[in-house]
Amino acid sequence: MAKLDRKWVVLCSAAVTAVYAAGYFSTEDEAAKTTLRQQPPINIQTQADQTSLSESKNQSKKSLYKNGTFTGMGENRRGSIEVAVTIQNDKITDVEISDFAMHYSESDVVGLPDEVLQNQNAQVTNVSGATYSTEAFQDAVQAALDQALNI
Amino acid sequence: MKKAKLFMDTVVEIQVVINGTASKEAAETKVDRAFEAFRKVEHACSRFSPDSELMTACRNMEKPVPISPFLFEPLKFALEMAKWTEGEFDPAIGKVMEEQGYNRHYLTGTSIETPSADSTAAYRDIILDEQDHTLYLNKPLVIDLGAVAKGFAIDLAAKELREFESFIINAGGDLFAAGMDRNGRPWKVGIQHPIKKDQIIDCIEISNEAVCTSGSYERRNAKMPGMHHIISPKTGYSPNDCVSSTIIAPFAMLADAFSTTAFLFGHEKGKKLIESVGLSGLFITSDLQIVKVGGIQNDSKEMA
Repeated sequence: MAKLDRKWVVLCSAAVTAVYAAGYFSTEDEAAKTTLRQQPPINIQTQADQTSLSESKNQSKKSLYKNGTFTGMGENRRGSIEVAVTIQNDKITDVEISDFAMHYSESDVVGLPDEVLQNQNAQVTNVSGATYSTEAFQDAVQAALDQALNI
Repeated sequence: MKKAKLFMDTVVEIQVVINGTASKEAAETKVDRAFEAFRKVEHACSRFSPDSELMTACRNMEKPVPISPFLFEPLKFALEMAKWTEGEFDPAIGKVMEEQGYNRHYLTGTSIETPSADSTAAYRDIILDEQDHTLYLNKPLVIDLGAVAKGFAIDLAAKELREFESFIINAGGDLFAAGMDRNGRPWKVGIQHPIKKDQIIDCIEISNEAVCTSGSYERRNAKMPGMHHIISPKTGYSPNDCVSSTIIAPFAMLADAFSTTAFLFGHEKGKKLIESVGLSGLFITSDLQIVKVGGIQNDSKEMA
């Protein structure tokens, strides 16, 4: 096997360094954290909560969505999923999956060489594959957005 | 601890194995910072948001536009790959992707169209100035960083988590694993079976390495049979010699870019490409044969 070509490794390493050398990450990150802290950490789940939030957060300019974090539920082929969508000034700033797991159990494994099967004492929980899309989460995100509607 | 968020139209899952000394709270702060890397790279490199740094810069033709390292660095890497492959890989393919319907933002649902962009533009029309950190476009075009941006975000996130001995960042099937897993063994990573969605076709072991897979079984073109999200800049069609190509590398951006390029090349030519730079990986051919390259971990016994 040929020795790993340094050129490409150096490019990658320099790319990471460039971000830090420019001071981008640390400074901007602190700013981002401050913004996040200012967001109301509210989980809207009931109609009553929603009403109180829209009252307390009512701004002079009416936005499409309320600011805050809203949960939504959805279904995908592995079961139900829940997302927490954070909205700020009508932009989705964060989507956290509050309840989600992609698990592959041993019985799911096919075509493994024997020596791998023998070592297969732990569950394979990480899988590399073509980047799967977020289609399965769209219903959950939409449900959260419905909660956030500023009506 | 484990946390998952949506970025770049996929699920990013970060898991940190906490040993005795580190507190869960401290780990959570670091994990949040690691997610920030994805947010920043997405905001810089997204082709799907009109207000991303990339799309803003693409609207400024024939003048130097200052850009941040979150865009400059992955673009520079993509352009190096384009030069090296003489355009068989080319980040100027964005307009073609748009035309094929790969133009919808996964969160807002809004589709983006850049009517002025030239679908015949090539990497030579994209010029970076190392001194001033500016981008200059010769032609109106749309840059696509789909083969590097996610990898770069993984590398930045890994840097944020470096104080932890053991963690894994999994961005929708592209991942970086540091240290050993909970059982003190190298991390096991399954290779997705291209047809049986709930199964894996192979399994590799990695430690302090990234593994990225490009494949044709996700993001298929609904309107055109045989077409998917990996499109050859030379032919305008999707190659179908393989169904997936997986690369293992010390950096995720490296694995990401080479997995896409190797996919474009097909397994025979791709094998030579991977061997020429000393990387390792595996192809799944269209008839579901596994072709291993460069002595990857699970058959490394013969090598040792």
